[in-house]
Amino acid sequence: MSILDYFKPVSTWSAERIRKFLDQRGSGEYNLIDVRQPEEYEQGHLPGAQLIPVGELPNRLAELDPTKPTIVY
Amino acid sequence: MKGGIRAWEGLVAEGIPEAGMAYFSPATRPQEMIALAWLLEDGTCKFYESIANMMEDQEARGFFHDLKRSEENHKTTLWKMCEEISGRTPSSEFPATVISGKPAGDVMEGGMVVSEALKWSKGKTLKEILELSISLETNSYDLYLKMEQKAEDRNSKQIFKTLSDEEKKHLERLTSLFLKTL
Repeated sequence: MSILDYFKPVSTWSAERIRKFLDQRGSGEYNLIDVRQPEEYEQGHLPGAQLIPVGELPNRLAELDPTKPTIVY
Repeated sequence: MKGGIRAWEGLVAEGIPEAGMAYFSPATRPQEMIALAWLLEDGTCKFYESIANMMEDQEARGFFHDLKRSEENHKTTLWKMCEEISGRTPSSEFPATVISGKPAGDVMEGGMVVSEALKWSKGKTLKEILELSISLETNSYDLYLKMEQKAEDRNSKQIFKTLSDEEKKHLERLTSLFLKTL
């Protein structure tokens, strides 16, 4: 991670826009990350979402493909 | 995502991140994964067929028969996939020739035992049965998406991609009928 990564724009999308995005693409074309706690994930999550609780993100960034768009909720 | 999960009005899967994955853990080769997936489709076929026969409403009966036929097609797809990967036609004993031990009882998509799902379904309304089916298919869709991400070889990735695409189509049909019951 370089200093420039801190200046990359992060946009907030509506649920509807994300639904369209996911519908139009195959699961191998994006990273879909659930950053909530495991109990919350267990109760309900977007199909295909990978659980990485927010506290674990810094140590698990390598699990994300940096060449693909990442959706976080 | 603006509003987080609360803003999401679509389908959600339930369970821990590894839910359902253990089912495929005995598979070490793509053919074994296919055989295990085939058994799930077979279980789901039996479930939809029994549900169709329980329905008094002709439209609902026809709908579940269609779903059953669709699961039959999945089985054929998997059978062909096994043929392509292994380079020879699977024997009539498939999938027993590919996997040594069959899971106890008929298990369907979503990991539920068919007999338990049928026992639960007795006396339930069409709406309740559709809710169960949507829930099982959503969990199945979630599982196949995650298996696709986890798979390391191209063949396995393709198997799970095919399965998840099919589950998505099923979910669209199920939710469409569900909306009609509201």
